Amino acid sequence: MSLKNTKRKALSISAAAAAIGLLAGCGSAPTPAAAPTAAGPVTIDVWGWDAESTPNVVAAFNASQDKITVNYVLQASLKATQTNFRNVMESEKDIPCYLPGIGPIATTLVNGWAQDITEYVEPIKDVYSKGAQAAAQVEGKFFGFPAGPSATFMMANKAVYDKYGLAVPKTWEEFVSTGKELKAHGVTVMNLAGEDPSTLLQMSQQAGASWFEIDGDKWKVNLQDDATLKAVNIIQQMVDQDLVSHQTYQDRPALYSYFDSGQLATVPLAWWSMAGYQTNFKASLGQWEAVDVPQFKDAKEFVSSGMADPGFVPVGCENPAAAVEYAHWVASSKEAIEAGRNKKTGAIGVPAHLADVSTYTEDVVPDKIFGAQPAAEVGKVIAKAQNAAVGKFERGPNYDAWFPEMQDQWGKVMAKQITLKEAMANVQTFITKDLDSKGIKYEVSK
Amino acid sequence: MSSTTQVRESRGGRTKGPARQSRTKGSTASPLLSWRSMQRIKGASFTWPFVIGFAVFTLLPVVVGLAQSLYTSKTSGLGFGAATVSFAGFDNFARGLADPVFWESMLRVSIYAVVIVPVTQVVSLLLALLIDAVQRRVANKFRLILLVPYMIPGIVATMIWIYLYSPVVGPLTPVLNFFGLDVNFFSGSMIWVSIGNLNVWGSIGFNMLILYGALQAVPREIFDAARVDGASEVRIALSIKVPYVQASLVLTGLLSIIGTLQIFSEPTLFRSISPETITKDFTPSMVIFNQAFQVGNLNYAAAQSIILAAVVGIASVIIYRLTNKVES
Repeated sequence: MSLKNTKRKALSISAAAAAIGLLAGCGSAPTPAAAPTAAGPVTIDVWGWDAESTPNVVAAFNASQDKITVNYVLQASLKATQTNFRNVMESEKDIPCYLPGIGPIATTLVNGWAQDITEYVEPIKDVYSKGAQAAAQVEGKFFGFPAGPSATFMMANKAVYDKYGLAVPKTWEEFVSTGKELKAHGVTVMNLAGEDPSTLLQMSQQAGASWFEIDGDKWKVNLQDDATLKAVNIIQQMVDQDLVSHQTYQDRPALYSYFDSGQLATVPLAWWSMAGYQTNFKASLGQWEAVDVPQFKDAKEFVSSGMADPGFVPVGCENPAAAVEYAHWVASSKEAIEAGRNKKTGAIGVPAHLADVSTYTEDVVPDKIFGAQPAAEVGKVIAKAQNAAVGKFERGPNYDAWFPEMQDQWGKVMAKQITLKEAMANVQTFITKDLDSKGIKYEVSK
Repeated sequence: MSSTTQVRESRGGRTKGPARQSRTKGSTASPLLSWRSMQRIKGASFTWPFVIGFAVFTLLPVVVGLAQSLYTSKTSGLGFGAATVSFAGFDNFARGLADPVFWESMLRVSIYAVVIVPVTQVVSLLLALLIDAVQRRVANKFRLILLVPYMIPGIVATMIWIYLYSPVVGPLTPVLNFFGLDVNFFSGSMIWVSIGNLNVWGSIGFNMLILYGALQAVPREIFDAARVDGASEVRIALSIKVPYVQASLVLTGLLSIIGTLQIFSEPTLFRSISPETITKDFTPSMVIFNQAFQVGNLNYAAAQSIILAAVVGIASVIIYRLTNKVES
């Protein structure tokens, strides 16, 4: 549940889902007709918080066939969707038939929300990458629709690096040392918003951490393993030495203004946030360069991070076959990609659920933000990150409970009230107490 | 024939034979109810829209919440199976009464209320007195302007003020800098002031309107008599107007306390601005929201809601009694 522009993310993800149509156009994937269909014409409610692309995709789907009518129920935001959805599940009335991901699939399942849709997804699963399938599965069954992660790469302000004669860091250890040199010039190496610990999750994932694992009939929990501590150590150094800024995403004009001012050297991002930066940057347009996300010094292979929250068919939906047919059409038809194209930027989305996205990444690059660097080269950086993204990063059975606690602890770390190591211990204690109160079996692994 | 005569005849007509006949035999009165009872029922019927709304949107949720708070829901193993719902008696209430996080949030907003409610009251009263002192035509304009913040939804108002406070793009910082003041409204030390200012701004319009209405009901002859005796306008305000509106001050004070103890939208949005200060459990309403919609424990959240309602009710009764005692 990263806070970074969830609305734009939703929009882009819908475009991404549509983008897979390019693959379908090659004729290698099953057509939508291969999916099971509901008996007779049915109407299903589909929820979402994207007001730009998804209504067009839904209209295109409705026009493309006459068996299923999708009624798109627009929600105000991701947060509103989570709240309203919990309410309808409690009331057991007006339950929608499909939702884009609002959390990891294990948490969704523990909440009693997701239907087993294995029988509908199994015949079409080969269209999607192994990672996308894994993200939608729990214990070998599909409780979500296959979804790929939006991998992390970086945008470096080349003008800033050139001005001070510095090279863009390639490892996280170099990142810290470069940060120290930039600090001498009043420049921060990265922004860590006080309310958003997603960088910690991503770096831990990249370092190979495993916070939650299923072990028989119990969960193994460990937020303090060696891999996590590698990420913790890097972040702690950056905070202690004031190498990072703490601009909040709540005050977005101020955030963009700071990013655009030349006082910030690097921005970790996923492909869907590029258009937002281009729209809101003025002075620094053309100064940025897409680069690989730094690696940990002892990394054996290039690894990027990224998490996927699969869409799902809620328990109580009486037409799961129709819902899956809709989701599959959105993710795999030519019409969907066109309908989902962003009207303002003309961009499509990266079909993150594919094993190799290199054919499509050039088309998602905005035209002004990267100056001398050709779109094809930026596309290669995105594709490299996408193809090297770590698969599933398990966030356990109670992610929606512990993530707000992690936000609290992260805020204290950014304000230097506690260390990140202490914060991780506090969050782990919170997790175990919450699992106790819910009756979920676990073991804290060493 | 004048209309007055018609009314008198009509009133008089009710006591004559045909009218009496209609009360006993006519279709508009029940043979079981007296005319007076029927009039009372008709009068009370004007309150039905409110009573229905109150029953459906206040009483019913309280009853449902009370019922929910008596149960608990648990899963087992990995947590993937259906949850078992069992009767828990008052366990959720016992947990709520002993929950330090919940009571810390209660203490936090109580201290905040001790500061912010008197400030709101004083500012509202001053504005009401000022408006009362000017000509009615001028007063009407100011009354409307001051009521605008109250008409803006809390979330929208907070978004507006976040922009105004912004140290980078907001207009307040350069103005303060011009006067040599380096103020960061988003810093941890200023966040209470920033929220408090927003709260006062949002609530003075409504309070001022209530107090201004009460001031309008004060007999003007008393002011004339005081002026003849040589009292200044300040003396009239302090010695005549303020004592006259004391009942309205109690009302606005109670409403402010109730509102402040349930504060939610402002700190929720300010949480991103100063996360080290405003945690997810910052106010009782935020604790309840987090339990209900993040942790997913609706039973416990329901019990906490009822405890909060009880605290607000008890606080209201105590303050009402105390202020009445002072008044008497």
